[in-house]
Amino acid sequence: MSLQHSYHPVTLQHRDLMAVQNPARYTGGEWGAIIKSEVLSELIATGRTDTVRFAFCFPDIYEIGMSNLALRILYHVLNSSPDVWCERAFSPWKDMDAILREKKIPLFALESGSPLCEFDIVGFTLQYELCYTNVLQMLELGGIPLRSADRTETDPIVVAGGPVVYNSEPVAPFFDLIMIGEGEEMILELTDLAKKKKLSAKTDHPMTREEFLLQAASIPGVYVPSFYDVSYRADGTVQSVLPNRAGIPSVIQKRIILDLDAVSYPTETIVTNTRIVHDRAYLELFRGCIRGCRFCQAGFLYRPVREKSAETLLEQGIALEQSTGCDELGMLSLSTSDFTDLSPLTDGLIEAFDGHHTSLSLPSLRVDSFSLDLMEKVSSTRKSGLTFAPEAGTQRLRDVINKGISEEDILSSLDLAFQGGWSSVKLYFMLGLPSETEEDVIGISDLVRKIEQLYFDVARRLGTRLRKLEITVSTSMYIPKPFTPFQWEPQDSLEAFQRKQSLLREKLRSRNIKYIWHDLDTSCWEVVMSRGDRRLADVLEKGYRKGYIFDSWDDCFSYSGWVSLLEEAGLSMDFYSRRREEDEIFPWDHIDCGVKKEFLLREKKRAEQGIVTPPCRESCSACGADCFGGGVCYERERS
Amino acid sequence: MNAKDREREMTTQQHQTQYICRIRFARKGSLSYIGHLDLMRTFERAIRRTELPLLHTQGYNPRPVLVFALPLGVGISTESDYVDIAFSVPVPPEQVIREMNRFLPPDLWTVDGVVVPEGTGSVMAAVTSASYRFEAPQILPYVKRALEADSLLVTKISKGETREVDIRPLILMDLTADDAKGEDAVCLLFRAGSRENLRPDLFLSAVTRHFAYDEDAAANCRVTRTGLFTGVFPNYTDLKEI
Ligand code: SF4
Repeated sequence: MSLQHSYHPVTLQHRDLMAVQNPARYTGGEWGAIIKSEVLSELIATGRTDTVRFAFCFPDIYEIGMSNLALRILYHVLNSSPDVWCERAFSPWKDMDAILREKKIPLFALESGSPLCEFDIVGFTLQYELCYTNVLQMLELGGIPLRSADRTETDPIVVAGGPVVYNSEPVAPFFDLIMIGEGEEMILELTDLAKKKKLSAKTDHPMTREEFLLQAASIPGVYVPSFYDVSYRADGTVQSVLPNRAGIPSVIQKRIILDLDAVSYPTETIVTNTRIVHDRAYLELFRGCIRGCRFCQAGFLYRPVREKSAETLLEQGIALEQSTGCDELGMLSLSTSDFTDLSPLTDGLIEAFDGHHTSLSLPSLRVDSFSLDLMEKVSSTRKSGLTFAPEAGTQRLRDVINKGISEEDILSSLDLAFQGGWSSVKLYFMLGLPSETEEDVIGISDLVRKIEQLYFDVARRLGTRLRKLEITVSTSMYIPKPFTPFQWEPQDSLEAFQRKQSLLREKLRSRNIKYIWHDLDTSCWEVVMSRGDRRLADVLEKGYRKGYIFDSWDDCFSYSGWVSLLEEAGLSMDFYSRRREEDEIFPWDHIDCGVKKEFLLREKKRAEQGIVTPPCRESCSACGADCFGGGVCYERERS
Repeated sequence: MNAKDREREMTTQQHQTQYICRIRFARKGSLSYIGHLDLMRTFERAIRRTELPLLHTQGYNPRPVLVFALPLGVGISTESDYVDIAFSVPVPPEQVIREMNRFLPPDLWTVDGVVVPEGTGSVMAAVTSASYRFEAPQILPYVKRALEADSLLVTKISKGETREVDIRPLILMDLTADDAKGEDAVCLLFRAGSRENLRPDLFLSAVTRHFAYDEDAAANCRVTRTGLFTGVFPNYTDLKEI
């Protein structure tokens, strides 16, 4: 690996830093950034070290990457090991990208300034599909061959993890290995192996890349794409995905952490010098979700639910607030209200922060008298907006998607909130859900109008003059994702979406209502990437060569460009957005997230009949995620 | 809340007893590349990491009461800047310095501090001039010529309008002799503060525009604020002497 490498840190010139937006993206030097000074001195003196050097890469700009909890957790886990020094690297924005290319300056990690090619492991966290071309940007600027097949013994091992790797096929050829599931344990098993490789370089039998990958493939959760051959049928669908070497598992099961109280969590973390997107400290309440909304990929991928105890969280929250100096502590989970001990936790934190002027942020809180009361207590800015996510406009469609929220629920909680003085409401819906009709779309505006009416009714009833009502309605385009009961469903056409959007725009015209919608083009491309296969890697590389980066930024995204590249490759948008047969083999079928395909198919059929499925805590639907031997599936046994 | 409001808040909230420390601080390297708001935020968080009894404003959105003497532009280092920090009980400045230096990021540190007696005006209003060191190859002769000129026009863009402004009257004095680094550095005293203020980058643009100083070298010029002063020139005093 890096026996041959020396240490060539990059220092950017003042004029280059002054020529770009927000130069602090590239300077590091934050409170809490970890500089392992013994390793650094070794590097300066000898150009090498036995410590495993890990570059944690986030393929988007600094402000987005530093807002990501996975980065913070794994940075902390890796650096807690005496054998590893983990540093950070981010995608340079277009202005800096141009400077690096023009001046032939390699992309570097913030802590040591080392170019990415000087690291032993270069690890990407892939949080959304539209970041793929930025991975290529970072690899190329970092001086690393884009494809696993082209890398030699002196190149770093390039790895990936994160939520989208459950179907990593479109980017599989770019990675040497992929970690499926929660990384805290797996990543240290990987760096242990890298350490062995590194030490072996000094012996007569240095471990080769091939040997490294073979051994890595036996770490549970590790997927080495090059060890699998994919064959296709004449119609373009997958025929098989088979290991091409002996001793390689035919199915890779994700890793999870069963005991979240025992796993290490960063209570000291980097405090950025510049404002980032989510500029607060975070507590992670639990992983997974008991609800099983059929459109929600995260709800299936992260099963089963595992909670942290309120005591652990209280301890971590107090430590975080103290060590970071942040004046806001965010609670993170898929559904805050489902946390068992929410009330003791928030009471404890409020008491501990008395006089500190620290506020708590509690996203995705179900609105009821308890939460309204809580919001009043914890928030420094009073009466901020309330958020609802009915997702669909009619009860029929909400039953189809298994969203357990009724119109009555929404209206009665809003009645309470309006009485309490709230006047700003945000509503989230999706367009293009399976079986959606015009009636369902109109249902959205009907519901919104009822809310508008309710506000004035409450005012009349109380005889008060209320503040100006602000209803924000936001629609996004539904993207049928792998590992959900809707993975077989087609995606609506762009035209259908446009029609529905303009219908809503028409219906929602009011001075009290603001209607915002998401960019449709990027959503159409996202379905290709999320349900795609390995043939898309060539398309991605071509797109990158044409300069397509930052696809998740609407103004950087070229829909027509991507469509024509897809067609040049003999593929089509329709192929990826089409309805799929129940017996079709999917490009991601060799990955096992615990939840089984048979269960998803069962759920698909229940959806077609409009039958709802209860949350895990009410009754178990035998999704398969009990195979991990813990979490909510065994709660009843324990109690 | 902007700096003005904070300042007002500090002087009007007399019902709340406040003990103000004036802290001199410095920054270099990575911390030079953040803007004024980010610097304020970085200070706030660092003080919150200490156990110092920080005073907060009252009202809806309580904020710590920090007043900076003069905003620092992105890319400018400093050896001598000031922030007034309000505490709810008296704290010896040495303790503030010690605590803060434990909790500030590596390229930002406090140097010394004094207790500001009650009734002292705001540090922001006190500033009348600032000194800067410019370090760039062969810059001295160009600057000397610029200082000999009667006027130095620069183009200012504000609210979409471009105007030609003469910045020569804003240059008060050449301090290079006190702070010399051969031909590659100059040190100048500029008018500064909320009424009239000369930004170092504007001065550099005038030197490149009128005296053909190399643009690349100017773009790479390292600018350091070396001091802040109060009083009417030429009767000015270094803030650190007060
Ligand atoms: S096995 Fe049952 S309890 Fe466990 S996650 Fe699946 S549905 Fe929920």
